[in-house]
Amino acid sequence: MSSLTLPPQTPATARNRRLLEVLGAVAIAGTYIYLVLNQPADITGGPGSASALIALSGFLVGAVLLIIGVLPTLPVSTLVLIPVALVLNIVLGQFVGSTLVPFYLDAIGTVLIAVLAGPAAGAATGALSSIIWSFFNPTVLPFAAGAALIGCLAGLAARYGLFRRFYLAPVAGFLTGIVGGVVSAPVAAFVFGGTSGLATGAIVSAFRSMGDSLLAAITKQALISDPMDKAIVFTLVAVLVYALPRRTRLQFPFVRQYRVLAGTASNHPGNQPTGHSTGQDA
Amino acid sequence: MRLHPLTSLAAAGSTAVITTAAASWPVSLTVIAAAVGLSFAQGAARRMLPAAAVILVPLVLSLLALHGLFFPEGTTVLAQWGPARVTAQGLQFALERAAQLSAAVLVLLLGSFTVSVPDLVAVLSTRGVNARFAFVLASTLTLLPAISSRLERIRQAQEARGLVIRPGIPGRVAAFRWQAVPLLLSLVEEAGTRAAALQARGFGSAGPITSYRQVLDSPVQRWARVVLLLAALAAIVFRLWQPTAGA
Repeated sequence: MSSLTLPPQTPATARNRRLLEVLGAVAIAGTYIYLVLNQPADITGGPGSASALIALSGFLVGAVLLIIGVLPTLPVSTLVLIPVALVLNIVLGQFVGSTLVPFYLDAIGTVLIAVLAGPAAGAATGALSSIIWSFFNPTVLPFAAGAALIGCLAGLAARYGLFRRFYLAPVAGFLTGIVGGVVSAPVAAFVFGGTSGLATGAIVSAFRSMGDSLLAAITKQALISDPMDKAIVFTLVAVLVYALPRRTRLQFPFVRQYRVLAGTASNHPGNQPTGHSTGQDA
Repeated sequence: MRLHPLTSLAAAGSTAVITTAAASWPVSLTVIAAAVGLSFAQGAARRMLPAAAVILVPLVLSLLALHGLFFPEGTTVLAQWGPARVTAQGLQFALERAAQLSAAVLVLLLGSFTVSVPDLVAVLSTRGVNARFAFVLASTLTLLPAISSRLERIRQAQEARGLVIRPGIPGRVAAFRWQAVPLLLSLVEEAGTRAAALQARGFGSAGPITSYRQVLDSPVQRWARVVLLLAALAAIVFRLWQPTAGA
């Protein structure tokens, strides 16, 4: 029974896509482990580009495999939200950056999609965000894997109910930030030889002056900045999601199925049965 | 003659890879000069150079401050104030890395600023999975300017209603909520409408896609793309084979 509007999903194509997702994750994890194990040989010997190339190609290949694996499986209603998320990443990031606090806050859209549409959509959005943003700013391209990881973790946090209690969202963000910072640090160290911002650069300088290796200093800086940054982003996303009208929130099957937000299904069991999907996806 | 979009992107990408792999002063500086020269020749310099400056100035300053002042591995000390030591090795590391990064950023920006987005989308959407990527790309690039102006209108409207940004974090979070919620609501609403419209027109179907936009391609360019990609791969393999050469 083939649908007119959706590509046919045979078990073989589903298996291939799962394989691509796993390969992407393996590429990212393998690159990170290789970089961390091999770092002392390279960093002081000048801008040794072997590590930079490995970081770039490994993380990029992983991110692209994730996109190829996930993008065709997303329903159109989620797909049309991805550009919105990318624009939010860029515009709100700049806007908040100029009015609120000196953080980067460039993942609001990614986390929002992850909360509304799940870990796979979040990972694809994070990777796509870096790739498309690199049309204006090529320096974000190497961070595609880190952004994908943050989207995936945010989706998992939403799935296991961390957005149901408002005070748990910053905690989830903090933990996500730790993982994201640790994974992004080798990119900053090997590709950029430092950080791109002056404020974060000052923190790295402080650790360097105590005699840390570059990767250690950047990892420590990331462990200071990223958890705070992601805790703020998760809180802002929780503010935004709870400010959305019920009708808009419940449009998303992921939100209904896993009861991501407090009071979405349980308070009104008669109104919105969980399995009753009349959305635009079917 | 206008280059095929994939050719210019392949050229930019493989030049960036080869420059990173080469990791040598003269190559980086040549690429920087060539990218700036080509941007003037293509008439993109006026848009591209400010964009590049916004990215590169903080990056280069940060690198210089970081490695120029603190480079514990450096041995030749040029000056010292307290814990900060200016070392020759640190400065050299910072300058080399800055040149290499500037070359890669300039070349990639040249590629993205000279490529014609409608052509790129037309090319991508004729090829399977890429139809979805092409949609995300085109729709982000066209949404961006529209949304900046909408955010401005929302801010004006909320200020007309009496929004005052109070000092302190709670005040600012409240101000953020006042502006971000209407923006997000309108965007999500529009996305829903767009999804219905797109699905009604067969977006996401697996059938053949007809494009009304003809993008010229030639066998020479097809070969050039293959050669460029192979050259980038060769540069990576060569660098991994000899990790320390030239560094």
